[in-house]
Amino acid sequence: MPRPGLRLVSPAFEAEALASLDSLYRAALRLTRVPADAEDLVQETYLKAFRSADTFEPGTNLRAWLFTILHNTARNRARDRARDTVAIDSEIVDRAADAPPPGSRASAVDTPETLLLRETLAPELQAAIDELPEQFRQAVWLRDVEEFSYAEIATMLSVPVGTVMSRISRGRHLLFDKLKALRPANA
Amino acid sequence: MHNCDSLDPLVTPFVDGALPDADRRAVEDHLRRCPPCHSRVTAERAVHELLQARRPTLCRTTAPDALHLRCADAVHANAKAVDAKAQKRAATAELQNFRDLQNQNLRTPHPEPRTPNAERRTPNPLLSRRLGPVALAASLVVVVGGAFVYQATDKSARVMAAELVADHAKCFAMNSALGTHQAASFVEEAMASSFNWQMHLPDTSRAGLELVGARPCLYGEGRIAHIMYRHQGRPLSLFMLPQTARTQEIVEVLGHEAVIWCANNRTFVLVSGEPRREVEQIASYVQASLH
Repeated sequence: MPRPGLRLVSPAFEAEALASLDSLYRAALRLTRVPADAEDLVQETYLKAFRSADTFEPGTNLRAWLFTILHNTARNRARDRARDTVAIDSEIVDRAADAPPPGSRASAVDTPETLLLRETLAPELQAAIDELPEQFRQAVWLRDVEEFSYAEIATMLSVPVGTVMSRISRGRHLLFDKLKALRPANA
Repeated sequence: MHNCDSLDPLVTPFVDGALPDADRRAVEDHLRRCPPCHSRVTAERAVHELLQARRPTLCRTTAPDALHLRCADAVHANAKAVDAKAQKRAATAELQNFRDLQNQNLRTPHPEPRTPNAERRTPNPLLSRRLGPVALAASLVVVVGGAFVYQATDKSARVMAAELVADHAKCFAMNSALGTHQAASFVEEAMASSFNWQMHLPDTSRAGLELVGARPCLYGEGRIAHIMYRHQGRPLSLFMLPQTARTQEIVEVLGHEAVIWCANNRTFVLVSGEPRREVEQIASYVQASLH
């Protein structure tokens, strides 16, 4: 009777997967906003990842694969809780995302503001990101901070690529407006 | 030529530098003629660049150490589940074997006539091979695995010993949380299959060592074997580093003694928090009895 090997995944896979733990935890914190829930979510992600390691396609982005598992797990959990809570209607959010950003086409180039924006400190930026509606926050963060491709983000969030782009665009403009309000050009 | 509406889906990939050259030039052409769109792109680009510039600070939050440990163990939780199923299957198969043999004994006459008593005294070779290590398991504590310190093999003895002591502490902490129990035969098979190390664990009952179990270490290349014992209840580790050679020595580091020796193109390091004389005695016993 052959015994199972001690390893179910290769040491290289295990090491590479665990190297993404901190960024997965940050993603989980953004999703749950509660450290204990974020920890649970990350742990469940790794349990699932190691269990289904054979479904991972070598040569593709392992970090993106883990983020997809994390987001799917979070969505399933949210679905389970949906009976008790009022969820944001994602279609409304997407319609908002498709609408042109308010004032963006009317205003002229705000060179002083864009210059001032560069002075924005990380805590102010973090606070502004945290205030963004969920869907825009995820899209902007996954693109600009985690640097995933549109296609990878689309898989993670389970939405079309076009929706990903419009959420990123909308999220960036919302952030711009928030940050601009913090730093008036005439200050 | 783009108008403002047809430009819309291109703005974000334009800002991200993800457009093919032809599309990028068409967008630039439109932006030169359209201040509102130019303003929109400028705003989006400013946020994109700000986020990238603040990335190191935004990514400063790290997961708690305990979560790192739990996630590293997720791989073993799965392995344990699979192993439990396999062991159950093995036990069922063994029981079936035993029944088959019994039926055979009842049905078929033996080639050599034997009395029932003589047969009872003669151990079934199949069963004794399997049950033998189980008896040994009661008196030996072993945890197996690859440690993350393979790269340490080129470093000084003190650095290597320090990393092994850290691994020793970490694995014992995990093992007490997991409460794993493995038979000596399992460890020996794992050593053979994972490290190509055909070994027999020493008879440790004389040396006051006790078996807890076996599990793989979590980190790195997995090319260092880590065998853990309990010596009179206190943790003691034996590391095996393949294909390395070192001088024999004993190093005191982080409140532990590390005894280093070489045999058969392998380096062994025994780590314990016991007094030096005792550690040396255990090391020489293990050294003499390891094959």
